[in-house]
Amino acid sequence: MSKADTSKNNAFLIDMTKCTGCRGCQVACKQWNQLEAEETEFFSGEGYQNPPAMSEYTFTRIKFRDYQKNGQNEFAFYKEMCMHCNEPACASVCPVGAFEKTAEGPVIYKAERCIGCRFCMIACPFGVPKYEWSKGLPLVKKCTGCYSRIKEGLQPACATACAMAIGYGPRDEMIKLAEQRLARYPDRYINKVYGKEEAGGTSVIYLTSLPFDELGFKAVTLRPLPGYTWQALRLVPGVFLSVGGGLSAFSWITHRRDRLKNEKQAELAEQGSVPSKEEQE
Amino acid sequence: MTAARRITNEVKSFHPFIKLLMLLVGVGVVASLLRFVYGLGATTNLNDTYPWGLWISFDVVTAVPLAAGAFTLGAIVHCFGIKKLEPLVRPAIVTGFLGYSLVSIGLLLDLGQPQRGWHVFRYWNVHSPMFEVSMCVAAYTTVLFLEFLSPVCEKFGLHLPLRLLRWIEMPLVVAAAAISTLHQSTLGTFFLIAVDKLHNLWYNPLLPLLFWISAICTGMCIIIIEASACHKWMGQPNEGTLLRTLAKIMPWTLGLYIFVRLFSLFALSDGPFFDRPVLTLLFFIELGFGFILPFFMFAQKSIRKNDRRRVIAACLVVFGLVLNRFNVSMFGMMDPNQIYYPSLIETLVTIGIIAGHILFFVLIARYFPIFEHHPETVDYSLPDQFRKIDSGEKSLETGTFPEGETVTGAR
Repeated sequence: MSKADTSKNNAFLIDMTKCTGCRGCQVACKQWNQLEAEETEFFSGEGYQNPPAMSEYTFTRIKFRDYQKNGQNEFAFYKEMCMHCNEPACASVCPVGAFEKTAEGPVIYKAERCIGCRFCMIACPFGVPKYEWSKGLPLVKKCTGCYSRIKEGLQPACATACAMAIGYGPRDEMIKLAEQRLARYPDRYINKVYGKEEAGGTSVIYLTSLPFDELGFKAVTLRPLPGYTWQALRLVPGVFLSVGGGLSAFSWITHRRDRLKNEKQAELAEQGSVPSKEEQE
Repeated sequence: MTAARRITNEVKSFHPFIKLLMLLVGVGVVASLLRFVYGLGATTNLNDTYPWGLWISFDVVTAVPLAAGAFTLGAIVHCFGIKKLEPLVRPAIVTGFLGYSLVSIGLLLDLGQPQRGWHVFRYWNVHSPMFEVSMCVAAYTTVLFLEFLSPVCEKFGLHLPLRLLRWIEMPLVVAAAAISTLHQSTLGTFFLIAVDKLHNLWYNPLLPLLFWISAICTGMCIIIIEASACHKWMGQPNEGTLLRTLAKIMPWTLGLYIFVRLFSLFALSDGPFFDRPVLTLLFFIELGFGFILPFFMFAQKSIRKNDRRRVIAACLVVFGLVLNRFNVSMFGMMDPNQIYYPSLIETLVTIGIIAGHILFFVLIARYFPIFEHHPETVDYSLPDQFRKIDSGEKSLETGTFPEGETVTGAR
């Protein structure tokens, strides 16, 4: 994968200490992307979250978690969405290159290319790509990073709808802003900028007051994922040439040996000293 | 007698087992049509947590190494010059060709947009293991098809294409081995991206190498099983002496596999390894019964010489491979709180594919000369002498052979 400079990519800075869990971002996302509503119920999953998971109809959602603080029940939330990785695993594994990390930041999906193999869903460390399971010829669905809005100079729908928790701007500035907040209010935050290094760096950056694993963030390697397969795949041309060449050389040697043996036998047979194999039969 | 009646009579003469296979294939075809009518969500137990299920785990990831016999034996016989194993090559090629054709069908069924399958050839992404495997499977199915054309041409006495096929035989054998090495190993590369998802017992950077070595082991074992089955049920001569030679190679490849497997586990993987009892059990069954036990069995001359025990050892290896591929592609990635199991339709399709493989093999063996091919009547020195093709006798009998031609190969 290209080692392009991602510092000027646009990135989301999501400060969960400022999130009230209003789910305005969820609604804005549905509206902008014209996504169908899902049937929901109270306590459909681990807590008050609705819908129970991201799906072909839901590209982002607020994930809830109950916890106890000073003997009081409290809510913890975080906004789940595509992380728009700097080096996306989905883009590296897709056989037809249906995913692309754009220069603006979003990882976009070219539906007209997709063959529907679902390797992106296996590869994504955040479990983001979802599938149209209801359809006969399904496609993948995921957060677009509102690429169509960004190109027109607008901000993503969720960031526009959010009152205070979602910031949007160049990635290096967002990281600087996040680190400033950590330095100024060390007691308010867990001292970590999630997304700065996760999966090789993402275009969605989180700050929270609770440990990330308690919030339900997945444990993710810090190494960019495409490297894991590329370390093996890069050997493909060499392996092909050495196996092909090696076997060719080997068979040339064995065939030559056989031919010489046959010729010698035929020669001897002609002289009549040793009957050839064929005459023996 | 009309052609239709002749076909009906022919089908009626089949063994009941063949008829059962035909029924299973029919059921599988219907089940796969349902998948297109009602969609993947309604007909399979796949969901966003388990985007890959039985069809990928068995029809692709497991079926490809099970069809590895063709390239392995081709290389052993033609490149390494162990010519006496030649009679086993043709059945292996038929098995391989059928296997890969069915892999392609299974893959197309699993794709969401099978009508766009050709996009792989248009939008290249060399970073994708799936691209690599698709290209290789397409190329190798073509190679196997060309190799399979030999018995077809012999059947119909087509000598010009036969000469052409004989001329490209060695390049095909070398290409088969090179292409197979690539995609057998790349199937392992698939799961390198599943870092933090695949359990530590199976995730390690040498997965591609392990997939390749185990495919070679299994390819040879499938040949042993197949030849023994053909002897037992299809009235073919006992190839025991040849299989013994093949079995002699097994301890080496199995030993290499076990060595690399343990090395990658102890030196290249990070724990925890034994945190989930079910996976621990699966791991020990796979490695113990599937690889270590047959290693010790094949290492003993008495077992290699005994037809029955040799087949048992070969079956153990096949069992180990199937379990290994399922462990990597399914069990090792499973969330214990949400278990995936295949739906009825998924199962019927896979059963149909397995039945189809056996059915087509038996039918091809019935109508094409795949067993009647023995090395003593074939001259493999290149370039080929004019018409040294053993099937001349056959085509003479059927009367399709042109007049005035002599067959030098047949005595």
